[in-house]
Amino acid sequence: MRLDPRTKLFMVFVISLIAMMSATTPVLWAIRLIITLIPIVLLILEKKYSSALRFFLAYGIALVLLLFFISENSEGIIASLLIGYCGIVVQFMPALITAWYVIRTTKIGEFMSCMQKMHIPDGIAVSLAVVMRFFPTIKEEYSSINDAMRMRGVMLGGGNVLRMFEFRMIPLLFSCVNIGEELSAAAITRGLGGDSKRSSLIELKLGLADYLLMSFLTAATVIFVMYKYFL
Amino acid sequence: MENNNKKLKAKDFITIGIFTAILFAVEFALGMLGYIHPFIVAAYVIILPLASGIPMMLFYTKVEKFGMITIVSVLLAIIMFVGGMGYLGAPLIIISGLVADFIAKSGNYKSFKKTVLSFGIFNFWICSNYFPILVTAESYRKDLIDGGFSAEYANNLFAAINVKTIGILVVLCFVFGCIGAVIGKAVVKKHFEKAGIV
Repeated sequence: MRLDPRTKLFMVFVISLIAMMSATTPVLWAIRLIITLIPIVLLILEKKYSSALRFFLAYGIALVLLLFFISENSEGIIASLLIGYCGIVVQFMPALITAWYVIRTTKIGEFMSCMQKMHIPDGIAVSLAVVMRFFPTIKEEYSSINDAMRMRGVMLGGGNVLRMFEFRMIPLLFSCVNIGEELSAAAITRGLGGDSKRSSLIELKLGLADYLLMSFLTAATVIFVMYKYFL
Repeated sequence: MENNNKKLKAKDFITIGIFTAILFAVEFALGMLGYIHPFIVAAYVIILPLASGIPMMLFYTKVEKFGMITIVSVLLAIIMFVGGMGYLGAPLIIISGLVADFIAKSGNYKSFKKTVLSFGIFNFWICSNYFPILVTAESYRKDLIDGGFSAEYANNLFAAINVKTIGILVVLCFVFGCIGAVIGKAVVKKHFEKAGIV
């Protein structure tokens, strides 16, 4: 199933909106759960089983812990670490899963033509596309830097926090700058930044699935807001 | 030709994207610490400017055109929104980015003092993330506790960030932004100018 990038963006928007408003009653929790399950189901439909399972387990475990083992009165180190872990996961996981799904399944060409259709200024669109693409690169570069340091026996920069930071940050910046140069060379050869309007190979069209999902998300938001603020 | 050089081009947009990604990666890594203890949330105003000083100073020397910081702040606002930081802070992030951009522009992106000042102002985006805590204090607190945080965490958070302390936080943010910028400049000079990257 192919979703339109606009639907995906709308999904990101709605899910982060709902994740932002905290759930307090069972109805709100139910909506939140359903909303979180949508991107997981979509991941399964895209045949990304392992990541779907991983997200599902991480979210599920945190949720169970949070709902059944942690109360207002939990104190102590283990409890506060657990709260930390569960808090992060439950609060940010829905948006994270959605963002992950969107980044993994949207081709950059699709994204750009979608941005063009929505009349987003080129500057923002290009930069946003780069940001989207760049997180995995940063992670990759970072782990290669770590490998290189381990190979030469530099562990944690000798316990000095500043050096620890410097040893990782500087090489990371070096490689990122270089990658940036290559990226812009590649983009310019493909006509980015030219004077004429760019055409796109991909024709975007909203299909039945898009309309269904969008109306479902809208309905969920309306119900959520209704229950939270007016009932 | 002169005018042409001042406008952002495709290459600059890519650089902007890359540095926003780096900035956010730093923010994200440090942000996770905040869940350990709420005082760390308040300490972002110190940690973040110092940590992001290096990449941002490199960024300042890489583009040097009007709009660069504004676009970064718009992107940050979008990311913060998606990351669930709330819609209240987003306009403030963009405003601080815009002001920082104007200051840096007045120094032609070359003046040391103006750059330092501009980065100090830019760091207000960190404070704007506290904004929801201030404005919706009561409901925010309730949300935190209902959302699974302990009462202890919520109490400490509000002890650290409230209407009284926000002034100090903003000032700290600015001061450490300037310090971060100075350190960042020194590091950029030490590593990158020698390597010929700048």
